[in-house]
Amino acid sequence: MIEIKNLNKTYKRDGKIALKNIELEIKEGEFTALLGQNGAGKTTLINILSGNVKKTSGKVFIGGFDLDTNELDTKKIIGIVPQEAGFDTFFPLYEVLKKQSGYFGIKDNEEHIDYLLDTLSLTEKKNSMLRELSGGMKRRVLIAKALVHKPKILILDEPTAGVDIEMRHSIYDFLNELHDSGMTIILTTHYIEEAERLCDRILVINKGEIIADEPKEQLMEKFSKELQVTIYFEKEIKLEDCSFLMDYRPEVHHKNELHLTIKKDEINTAIQMIAQKNMHFADITIEREKLEDIYLSLISNR
Amino acid sequence: MNIFYNRIGFFTLFFREIHRFTKVSVQTVLAPLISNLLYLGIFAGILSTRSAGIDGINYLQFLVPGLATMGALMAAFQNPSSSIIQQKFMNTLQDLNSYPISDAEKTSAFILGGTVRGILIGTLTYLATIPFVHTGIQSPVFFFVSLGITSFIFSSIGFISGLALEGFEQMNFIFALIITPLTYLGGVFFEASKLSGILGMVRFINPIYPLVNLTRYAYLGVYEENIVVHGILAGVFVIVTFGIALYAFKKGIGIKIN
Repeated sequence: MIEIKNLNKTYKRDGKIALKNIELEIKEGEFTALLGQNGAGKTTLINILSGNVKKTSGKVFIGGFDLDTNELDTKKIIGIVPQEAGFDTFFPLYEVLKKQSGYFGIKDNEEHIDYLLDTLSLTEKKNSMLRELSGGMKRRVLIAKALVHKPKILILDEPTAGVDIEMRHSIYDFLNELHDSGMTIILTTHYIEEAERLCDRILVINKGEIIADEPKEQLMEKFSKELQVTIYFEKEIKLEDCSFLMDYRPEVHHKNELHLTIKKDEINTAIQMIAQKNMHFADITIEREKLEDIYLSLISNR
Repeated sequence: MNIFYNRIGFFTLFFREIHRFTKVSVQTVLAPLISNLLYLGIFAGILSTRSAGIDGINYLQFLVPGLATMGALMAAFQNPSSSIIQQKFMNTLQDLNSYPISDAEKTSAFILGGTVRGILIGTLTYLATIPFVHTGIQSPVFFFVSLGITSFIFSSIGFISGLALEGFEQMNFIFALIITPLTYLGGVFFEASKLSGILGMVRFINPIYPLVNLTRYAYLGVYEENIVVHGILAGVFVIVTFGIALYAFKKGIGIKIN
């Protein structure tokens, strides 16, 4: 759906190299997270796709259309939710969405606009001027604007910044619904748990280069060096009873829960050690490192 | 790249530009109209019986097409320039980059939106003067065409300024130091050819002078200097200003980051 070949961007204003030899292919229906620190190059990449920034070199294909020769065709299939909320202060919300439809060559789009307003809980505000809306509502308006022409690809640049938790979850549900319907989605976010929860592919960009690009499960499997193991004992236990497990940084919680941090290939050894001590446990849970930990370790290694 | 790519998109953008100024019509339509009528009232009070230097034409008859042209060009300049600068402040100008509308369509939509406002102000100025100056238009079609050409040229200049300028202060600077002096030296209030010295020479490089002359010819049927030459000059201005506007937009001046 999106193919990027040897993409480079150096800003003329200050000579800053924002993207270096980016090679990327995003397939139809993928839900991809684009992670990176501020200034890593995420927004530059998105702005090249949206046409706001001119690339220095390389090729970009969107839906099979070459950005250099068929730029207008690429715009019909892409919807962008920008990071910074800018709003037309002249017209009320419904009028803004009708005009947005018109810009994409769609004349009678009332049904779809009503669906978007309803889904994004904006129906009550359809006649309000945009300046009257709260920050969270403005974010949702940006999503509605990006979807008004039913794009095949949706790119969201930090869509939930400033949105309250309840509404954030409602946006997650909506994005999942869009993904289930076959839409290709690219999400940049500072909330790593958002990427972990929603996306099936993780891209990490650092200093203009892609330093990780893998399916989420594979990435977490590959980079997860330690496991968080919680063992639930039938009886109360004390930390001093677990001195033989000191290598695994034991902690006792709620009197009968033992938390251990164990390297992936040592888990059997640890459990055998517990069994040999005749310590009977009722249950065991094993959690991998969170994506956030993996992300931080990837960034800090550079 | 197709020039005509998205007809609905073009018309949506074009009508947005019209819708925008009609929503604030007190500032955009009524205010310039009152301003022009004040000019007429002041000059009617002190110079109504003065001859304009053209046989059989009194000063007020001479003044009406000048005011109509001035009103048209100023309104036409302000529409795209203020629209673009406002969008820069609202952080919405870059949205234009995401629309599947060709550069020629986007440029034309802004410029034609300004042209409509210019023609409207020029026409309303003429209509408002009818009770005071009992003169019919010699050639109504040519009068509207002339207002249209004037408005198109200055809407193009306004479009270029909007893209190139950072804010309203810079726009006011251009307006006060370039547009207004050229308007006064362009034959709106008096025959520019009667000016002597450097001020008189300015008319040869002043794009407003031939435009005022064309509108006056359409209104009165008389002209100050060679009307064919001024007609050709107006045509050249149309092509050059639109060409520069389109080039500036294609280059992404003020709208894309290089």
